[in-house]
Amino acid sequence: MTPADALSQPALWPLTAIVFLPALVAAVLSLPIIPKAREEAIRWIALATTAVVFVLSLWMAWPGLFGARGPAQFTVGEPGMQLVVSRPWIPSFNIEYLLGVDGISMPLVVLTTFLSMLACAASWPITKHIKAYHVLFLLLETGMLGVFVSLDFFLFYVFWEVMLLPMYFLIGIWGGPRREYAAIKFFLYTLLGSVLMLIAILMLYFTSDLRMLSPEQLVASHAAVDAAAARQITEATEPVHTFNLLALAELGQLKNSPFAAASIRGVSLEVWAFLLLLIGFVIKVPVVPVHTWLPDAHVEAPTPISMILAGVLLKLGGYGILRICYPICPGGGLALAWLVCGLGVVSMVYGAFAALAQKDFKRMVAYSSVSHMGYVMLGLGVWSAVGANGFDPDYWAQGVNGAMFQMLAHGFSSAGMFFMVGVLYDRVHHRNLEEFGGIFNRMPVYASLAVAVFFAGLGLPGLCGFIGEVLVTLSAWNYSRWLAVISAFTVILTAAYILWAIQRVYLGAEYKGPDGDHLTPMTGRELAIATPLVFLAILFGVAPQLLFNYVTPTVNRQVETLAAWTREVHPDFPGQPALAPAASAASTAPARALAED
Amino acid sequence: MDLAAQLPLLLGLAWLTPLASFVAILFFGPRMGPHGRNAAWVATAAIVTSLVLSLAAFVVWLGVHPVQAVAHGEHGVVHAAADAHAGDGGHASGSHDADGHLAADHGHGDPHQPAAYSGNWYTLYRGGRLELSIGYYIDALTVLMFVVVTFIATCIHVYASGYMHDELHEVTDHEVRLADGHHLHRPGRFPRFFQALSLFCFSMMGIVIAGNLAMVFIFWELVGICSWFLIGFYYERKSASTAANKAFIVNRVGDFGMLIGLMALWGALGTLSFADSTTVGPDGNEQVRPGLFSQFRPSEAGHVLQVPDGMVAAAAAAEVATISADHASSPADAASQIAARIPDWRGMGMGRWLLFIAGVGIFCGCVGKSAQFPLFVWLPDAMEGPTPVSALVHSATMVAAGVYLVGRFYPVLSPDVLLVIAYVGAITLFIAATIALVANDIKRVLAYSTVSQLGYMMLALGVGGWVAGLFHLVTHAFFKSLLFLCSGSVIHACHTNDMRKMGGLAKVMPWTAFTMLVGCLAIIGAGVPFVIGLSGYYSKDSILAQALSFANANPGHRVLSWAVAGGAFLTAFYMFRLWFMTFAGQPRDHHVHEHAHESPNVMVTPLVVLAVLAVVAGWTLPGGLGIANLLEQARPAGTAAGLEGGFVFGQSLLFPAEHESHEGAVHITATLTAFGTAMAGVLLAALLYLWKLISPDLIASIFRPIYAFLAGRWYFDELYDLVFVKPTLGVANLASGVDRGLIDRLIDGIAWAARGLAGIDAWIDRTLVDGLVNATANATWNAGLKLRGLQTGRLRQYVMFIVLGTVALFVLAAAAFRSAGTG
Repeated sequence: MTPADALSQPALWPLTAIVFLPALVAAVLSLPIIPKAREEAIRWIALATTAVVFVLSLWMAWPGLFGARGPAQFTVGEPGMQLVVSRPWIPSFNIEYLLGVDGISMPLVVLTTFLSMLACAASWPITKHIKAYHVLFLLLETGMLGVFVSLDFFLFYVFWEVMLLPMYFLIGIWGGPRREYAAIKFFLYTLLGSVLMLIAILMLYFTSDLRMLSPEQLVASHAAVDAAAARQITEATEPVHTFNLLALAELGQLKNSPFAAASIRGVSLEVWAFLLLLIGFVIKVPVVPVHTWLPDAHVEAPTPISMILAGVLLKLGGYGILRICYPICPGGGLALAWLVCGLGVVSMVYGAFAALAQKDFKRMVAYSSVSHMGYVMLGLGVWSAVGANGFDPDYWAQGVNGAMFQMLAHGFSSAGMFFMVGVLYDRVHHRNLEEFGGIFNRMPVYASLAVAVFFAGLGLPGLCGFIGEVLVTLSAWNYSRWLAVISAFTVILTAAYILWAIQRVYLGAEYKGPDGDHLTPMTGRELAIATPLVFLAILFGVAPQLLFNYVTPTVNRQVETLAAWTREVHPDFPGQPALAPAASAASTAPARALAED
Repeated sequence: MDLAAQLPLLLGLAWLTPLASFVAILFFGPRMGPHGRNAAWVATAAIVTSLVLSLAAFVVWLGVHPVQAVAHGEHGVVHAAADAHAGDGGHASGSHDADGHLAADHGHGDPHQPAAYSGNWYTLYRGGRLELSIGYYIDALTVLMFVVVTFIATCIHVYASGYMHDELHEVTDHEVRLADGHHLHRPGRFPRFFQALSLFCFSMMGIVIAGNLAMVFIFWELVGICSWFLIGFYYERKSASTAANKAFIVNRVGDFGMLIGLMALWGALGTLSFADSTTVGPDGNEQVRPGLFSQFRPSEAGHVLQVPDGMVAAAAAAEVATISADHASSPADAASQIAARIPDWRGMGMGRWLLFIAGVGIFCGCVGKSAQFPLFVWLPDAMEGPTPVSALVHSATMVAAGVYLVGRFYPVLSPDVLLVIAYVGAITLFIAATIALVANDIKRVLAYSTVSQLGYMMLALGVGGWVAGLFHLVTHAFFKSLLFLCSGSVIHACHTNDMRKMGGLAKVMPWTAFTMLVGCLAIIGAGVPFVIGLSGYYSKDSILAQALSFANANPGHRVLSWAVAGGAFLTAFYMFRLWFMTFAGQPRDHHVHEHAHESPNVMVTPLVVLAVLAVVAGWTLPGGLGIANLLEQARPAGTAAGLEGGFVFGQSLLFPAEHESHEGAVHITATLTAFGTAMAGVLLAALLYLWKLISPDLIASIFRPIYAFLAGRWYFDELYDLVFVKPTLGVANLASGVDRGLIDRLIDGIAWAARGLAGIDAWIDRTLVDGLVNATANATWNAGLKLRGLQTGRLRQYVMFIVLGTVALFVLAAAAFRSAGTG
């Protein structure tokens, strides 16, 4: 690398360090330099690594945190892609080492590094194969961070797969009694999604042609470094394919988009690609009916892995839909908006009902994740910038902002909930909801923190869960009244399963299960993990703008772009089918004498 | 500093002080003196500060907006109010002169607007023109509610510091029996109680000061969770934690409806703010964004209720879509075309259903919070909480929040919604009163009485009695908190809630007996007709008068006025049944009686203070200062005149103006009816329980089925369990079962089938392919031996998979490529 590159791409080393430092340490750990027996040392090295990565990402996200603002720091309020790093990787296929962050990915990166640090600290009770565990854990962190910062679809896919294997082993080796079943199930579900995603990637790659973009668009989407390179592309004789996500999005939003022009079996390619990608991503979210890997994986996974799984991995699905599906295949998004929203609402209600029926504490929390991630799907999908409201994108933007907030909030609250379950499990080694009770009197500090975290999951105002849920629910009305009503119904079920669980576990006169004498107060390490989660749950509940300052500019710009696309490409799109009956019912209501008439 | 700056500051501080107390007790509670004793002082000091600040705001308010002087007549309170509105513009009362910052009259200077100050403190979310924020809307009603809430809360804090003293040391809970047969011993939780009480006060004031419906919803949920903490204060008791959950979940059912109402408003109008707001637009100019009130009752339409433009456009979605598509290139043209068509569409009745849904939806939330039919079932169970909580949360303030919201939201409610509210109120007041007739738990009688009185308020609002309903809300807050605190004093002395074990307590606890008698007289509306009365006399009279006035205008709905009159009779009966059973006659249980004693001064003093207010709260001072007159100042624009019309029910309704009910015949009928029914109720109670001329047991046995029905509380709990709870759990189990039984079976089945296929494949390899190989080997054994040495079946299997997979991928990619090329 030349010094000139470092100047033009100041984020090259910081971003690369954030992504690859965990993998580097993992590689060093796996060498026989540190003996396996030095378990404490391995734990501390891993924790220190995650802490360094967290501090690094926080420094990048929060300009001015440590003194003067540097060139490799994020600009809050700037909607576009920032700190882009672009290096050729496999030039024969136009594959690049292309990284960057914007208001959508930056908070998710910090969430990932933060939760990885806490989960690493929560790994102390792990006693089996410490070294292998931490190597895999650090690899997992690299995979997750890589997915969030990749702007090249091929790179994205590589990181996506890198994430899968460590997770498989972390569940399959360090899990509970049915760990192998759970791990295989997780692996197969996710692999199915990956295969469909790969097909979509190839479809898009072979259909893409960079020559359709103007030189300005090429430079803006980092497909060409400068005007000269852009001219070289536009003047090429053969189609120039690309994996560049930004360029693909520019192509997808062209009025003569190549993805819309091509069709397979009478359905345009952008709809196929949207559908295939969507299936790949919703398995990760997960939505009903492809969610059954989640309860098993959570129940069997060790506590820190559950924290990562719920806190970060589920967000990858929502992130993928927001970053890839909608901008690249807007036509597919418009045509299948009902599918996205419908899956979201079904997951909300179904997950809540299923949570109500669980006897296993961790399984109940897992189903609450299904329900809460349903809000994310609904918020992302409420494509209400249609003719029926004059292509007004405000409500849709509200839904997407709410979905983003819900993802971040759920990251804190669900990781907290799983950790709280883990604290109890480490002591009494069971999770049967019927065999708890009286924990409030036995472990008052723990129970207070736990109740706060569960209230965040309940969506109580003043805690982080509320903002996302209320924004999504309120935005849904203008998309479909029936879906909105059903989604509002979920608030009853959520209150029921969470309060009922609190009653059975924390309230009551005495503990009813085995090993009651092991119910010792929280240790300092546990407090150090739980307290920040509770603190952030309150902070983001009271001051949501701390997150919205990052999220809103980017989300609003994306939504406005797509709204403009709708007006230009589908001016006759009237509105969703569900809107029409309600509207006609209102218009046929008998006109009666009004007071003012 | 002018009023527009002073009021938010004073009330904002009054609102936040209890929050500070909550945080302080949360972190340092157990260290506040021995066993956290001083937590009571911290909480009380905080609420006293709030009271002082609220009173200061009240005085400041009166300084700028003096209450209209009494005009004449024995019922000065009501007539003054009537006169203010009878004359055009008489309401001005010099309110708008001093202040240029009146939020409600941007540029209009309309004399009909109530004086109100609004603004935003804090933004939660802003995207485009949509904004969710924390703000304030302060009018006379807000100021009055602040004073009432902080005053009652102060009394209850003082009272509770005596009542809860058991929690200062080790507590033995006799209601909880452990597995080993002993009663539960646990450390006291004195600070925790005051911590929750402080959080409650903060949340309640948040509802009152809220400048928009989103903020109302936020604090609505927060009072709900405070109520959960307080009902479940004795969380070791299964009954208490179940009651707490029931309260919260039943409230969430109401909130479900409220969310629908919020969505209908938000989706169509893009604002939930009550008042107009001024923002600086992108072009640097000030823009006025109309709030809900001025969208529903625009000043240019004379503040008459109409379907707002946004709702009309939302209902005319198909037409809007056509126009938008035709003018896709120029959104400004489309907007002006749509705006031009809106009056036509409104004339066609578009958006009326949305208006109805919005109103009924918001009212659903109030049904939950104010324990109205059909969601009232949680309130009696909520009596599991300590008695001061019942007094503050479950009678005087939180449950009144629903009534308050209906009052605040009143300008938006269409005639149909008002009719729904009136009927819900009537049904509630009747059902609850009948159950109270036969209840034997002293707190439950009061709980059902609360439900019934809240029904009164709803009914009053529903028949157009805006002042009457809110007036009763205020007077009820005083006498019902008094009644609850008295019952707490009795329970404190007797250690039982069962009235059948009481009797003759007046001799041993005279202060409690006397103050409770005052409370009973206040709630039945006792007074000398046309001369003077206790607070309930004024508020109940105005409710009955308005109900009669409504019944006269709409003869089809006469049953509403019967409900009010009948309810008055039942109220008088069950309240005096309670008093006679508790305090009069001979002791029924000597063990209880011997231990009974008057409560300590710290508990009796609040009783006396509240008793004085229960007497005088309805009075109007010579200067005209009185609650009803004050409320008139806040009367929403356009509601002084009557309301006529029907929006969706297909039936035209006439809501007579409130001042008409204070005139002549209606007023006299109302006063005499109220007096007569109340006296009849007291007389009947005396016959049965004081003079014992008729045996209650005899009556119960004669009407056994009815008695059992009432004692079983109309079997609502059983019905709901059967119709809602059990099916919900059934669906829950079904969902869980589908996951394990269907989806997982399917997945496992696919996995099993794949393994089976692999097995078949391996078998083919071994027998057919290998067999062929073997056969070939046998034929040409030299080559065959080499082949066998090199290859195993498994390796071939993998290779086959790899080849097949690669080919499949290439086919797919090629297909995509080709179709892209051709398409």
